[in-house]
Amino acid sequence: MSIEVRNVTKRFGDFVALEDVSVSLPTGQLTALLGPSGGGKSTLLRIIAGLDTADEGTVTIEGTEATNLPARKRNVGFVFQHYAVFKHMTVAKNVAFGLEIRKKPKDEVAARVDELLRLVHLQQFSHRLPSQLSGGQRQRMALARALAVEPKVLLLDEPFGALDAKVRKELREWLRRLHDEVHVTTVFVTHDQEEAMEVSDEIVVINEGRVEQIGSPDDLYDKPANDFVMGFLGEVTRVNGEAVRPHDVDISTAPVLAGAAQGTISRVLRVGFEVRVTVLTDGGEEVTVQLTKAHANALGLHEDQTVWVSPNPGAVPAMSRAV
Amino acid sequence: MLWFSLLVLIPLAAVVVKAGGGGWETFVDAVTNRQTFAALRLTVLTSVGVTALNMVMGTIIAWVLVRDRFPGKAILDLVIDIPFALPTIVAGLVLLSLYGPNSPVGVHASNTRVAVFLAIAFVTLPFIVRTVQPVLEEMERDFEEAAASLGASRLTTFRRITLPTLAPAIFAGAALSFARGISEYGSLVLLSGNLPYRTEVTSVRMLSYLEGGDTASAAAVATILLVVALLAIVTLDVIQRRVARRG
Repeated sequence: MSIEVRNVTKRFGDFVALEDVSVSLPTGQLTALLGPSGGGKSTLLRIIAGLDTADEGTVTIEGTEATNLPARKRNVGFVFQHYAVFKHMTVAKNVAFGLEIRKKPKDEVAARVDELLRLVHLQQFSHRLPSQLSGGQRQRMALARALAVEPKVLLLDEPFGALDAKVRKELREWLRRLHDEVHVTTVFVTHDQEEAMEVSDEIVVINEGRVEQIGSPDDLYDKPANDFVMGFLGEVTRVNGEAVRPHDVDISTAPVLAGAAQGTISRVLRVGFEVRVTVLTDGGEEVTVQLTKAHANALGLHEDQTVWVSPNPGAVPAMSRAV
Repeated sequence: MLWFSLLVLIPLAAVVVKAGGGGWETFVDAVTNRQTFAALRLTVLTSVGVTALNMVMGTIIAWVLVRDRFPGKAILDLVIDIPFALPTIVAGLVLLSLYGPNSPVGVHASNTRVAVFLAIAFVTLPFIVRTVQPVLEEMERDFEEAAASLGASRLTTFRRITLPTLAPAIFAGAALSFARGISEYGSLVLLSGNLPYRTEVTSVRMLSYLEGGDTASAAAVATILLVVALLAIVTLDVIQRRVARRG
């Protein structure tokens, strides 16, 4: 295991940010800490980095007991949401910083900086100041700076949080490719479930200071451990009291399926390639159904129509009502 | 630009013209006068010394005001401005009663060069505190954390990251502090005793020229001060750029 967090508790005054959290993160993997804002995921990341200290519990990095090590001795790379660039230094100087304070020979530093700037596609900007770069470029520079010192683990705190939607998408694909090239154990914090599912090998869902579930993106989506995880990873609707994903609801214009709930369509909404249908069942439930435009057209769905809805039997059984 | 010209450039030009009006000889005479030279030297050297001290102390005070928490901080924050707010002659009286012949603290600085230093230090202290403070407040803490995670000690972080970021503010404050120092009159005129060759500063010297009806000489000295101030601003700016780039 590359990072071992054991029984960590952190309080800010009366507020409990983390409560008895234990996580093991294997070497070489890309892990997402996912959860709502204020849930404690950034605090956990900062404790791993040594930027905050835990009130209780221990942190081990690559077998080294790190609980009481200051940040500068942990050899972790940290990337901040708002880039944390050194404004008065050029891009190359920023990337070289960690190497220069380690008193590496000049030509070695220059070669390494060049290599890293190539890796993050910023080689032509090496003499610019950070203020002359776009947000996405600044974040790539920050990443190169963190990687320069060959950290044992790379930690990213909402790295794409300050970027616009398009750049975000590009950068997360790029981060995935970069990780496949560099293979450094990486942990990143996000509140965006799509981002977490797209990029990571493993997701740790954190809410209200506790770990809700740890697993692969598919596991979490298909076999959520509780209502919170299910709700956080995707939309949820209820049919006959059973929680299902809206795209796992079958809808038909005739009562062909046994146990299907009868209802009336109250709303048909088309968003791009998908159609969202809201059905008010006779049982008093409001069921959301998600289907393709082609499928909806074939069924000829319209408002005030009587339809039957039931959970798709082929779908992986979702959560029971328990919890 | 027009406003700036009317307000600043024309009066400055007038001084230079006036200084030239007496002819080159008057100018050279005024400047090479031993008493004037002593006053100029005292004023400039003391101002340089005070400014250097302010750059260190002012930055430390600003740092404490922004980064530390302690009881009475709000009051200290307010008190810093008193030298600004006080009419300079009142400041002079305060200094005289504190360090004068009947000093309650046992420091007798009257009629010495120390008095000049103290008076200038007193009135110029707020400049650097007030220029550095807002920059420190605006400064994100995350780049200090970034430096730490890259392996930098607190001293290295301060020297290579924090100080270069603060440098423009420190040097801007230093320029103001120096300019105020070389022009100071009210706060030091009571305590310093204005002894020729010893504690007489340039502004006092100029006043005595004017009282003697020698406006040309006064303007000549004023022109010298003007050049000194310009040189100081340029020098500080050059050093500032060096420091900011060094990081």
